[in-house]
Amino acid sequence: MRAIDIHTHPVCFAKGYSRKEINAFADQALAQGVQQMVSLGDVLVFGSHPTEKQVRIINDQTHQVMRWRPEYFVGFCALNPRLGEKAVMQEVERCIALGFSGLKLEISNNARDACMKPVMAAAARWNVPVLQHTWSMTNIRQRHLHSDPEDTAALARRHPNVQVIMAHLTGCGYRGVLEAKGVDNLVVDTSGGFPESGILDYALEHLGADHIVYGSDLPIRETGVTLERTLAGTMSAAELDKVLYGNTRRILKL
Amino acid sequence: MLLDTHVHLGHWPFTFVPERSAAQLAADLRKNGIRRALVSPLDAVLAPDPLPANRALFAAVRRTPALLPVATINPALAHWRQQLDHAATGPLQAIELYPNYHNYRLDSPRFDTFLAEVAKRKLKLIISVRLEDDRHRYFALNIKNVPTKSLTAFLKRHPQLHPLLLGLGLPDIRALAKTCGNFSTDTAFVEWIYSIQTLVREFPVSRILFGSHTPFLITKASLAKLTTAKLPKATRAAIEHGNAERFFGL
Repeated sequence: MRAIDIHTHPVCFAKGYSRKEINAFADQALAQGVQQMVSLGDVLVFGSHPTEKQVRIINDQTHQVMRWRPEYFVGFCALNPRLGEKAVMQEVERCIALGFSGLKLEISNNARDACMKPVMAAAARWNVPVLQHTWSMTNIRQRHLHSDPEDTAALARRHPNVQVIMAHLTGCGYRGVLEAKGVDNLVVDTSGGFPESGILDYALEHLGADHIVYGSDLPIRETGVTLERTLAGTMSAAELDKVLYGNTRRILKL
Repeated sequence: MLLDTHVHLGHWPFTFVPERSAAQLAADLRKNGIRRALVSPLDAVLAPDPLPANRALFAAVRRTPALLPVATINPALAHWRQQLDHAATGPLQAIELYPNYHNYRLDSPRFDTFLAEVAKRKLKLIISVRLEDDRHRYFALNIKNVPTKSLTAFLKRHPQLHPLLLGLGLPDIRALAKTCGNFSTDTAFVEWIYSIQTLVREFPVSRILFGSHTPFLITKASLAKLTTAKLPKATRAAIEHGNAERFFGL
């Protein structure tokens, strides 16, 4: 078994930011077969609307994590799209020059909002994927900040030249899987939520193994739990290899 | 040797998880190293009266000794004594409550007589705090998890009781443990990068019981937090089975 974890926060709410802790974070996953990880940054440490300076701090921390373990961590550049085109473009350009490989959107806005246009333009220009935090808004009702699976699927459809990663399969739920169905440039990550029965098999049936990628949401979740929920399903060995490893390797051009 | 304190048998209408027979459930648990499990009837959760589902469960597991049936009791119904009488016919002297699904507050004085009777009959008390993640449960099922505030009031009102609370998360345990010492917890909804090691650091080992929450959660995934945890042998044995054996007198 080999895996790449596309959804982690090695530094989370200002905790874990030391070389020793980052090494421990990576080593526990490596020991369980996770060969590389995407570090998405401490995206909520400053709340849902980080300033330009705060966005830079988040990304500088991710860069430091990448430098501590360059063979292990792939960095994604966290953004606040509401800061506007100039700020977004400058930060993406800065992060790409530092070796980042993707863009991360949290809960500053909804994925359908007009402020996403520069983000997607930047993704297209530098040919990097966009990972959008997504959760069913049926019960949460904060759609002005969060993105429902319907919104993230709409984002991917509007920008067919950009690879979009819809985060949190369990939170997207059965309805979310159906929203993601048939969108070629969209994959769903398995991170987040408890290891609920049934949803991964449902995603496999409707999306196929090419459109699912393994993610954990560490440290909020645990590597062993998230791996076992994937391994315990009905996937063939070939499908498992795609979900755990191959799809992310292709998306990140590793 | 694993003893699972948090397993259900029956149908749940909001997922596509196939319903299993008692024998199938026991076999699936055994594949994961779980030799015995406390099983409650899912059909009792949404039913207007839990007794029929309890009777069906007791009958279903009669030939499957690995599954120890736990009756679901709704103390808000007039025939709660009859429910307790039936519960006592099983191999385990334990009952389970679902305050949120059965629409009552545990700390209400209205249940003092019921709880006194539970203590008198020496029935072990299990309280289900959470069955599902309420952030994405079925929209029409407008039910919240049992609030920590209500649990705290209940535990303080009945200091002689020591229930097993199923479905607590780490934040819930931290909040409850600040003021109450008379409860134990299962592990199903405790999750962090080092779930069990974190829990053991913050909470007395003797009050931690393994629970997988099968079939809501994937058994093997629930178990992984325990199997991958770095724990002293005695601590592992206590969580895997020892604490549950002592708690239920097995």
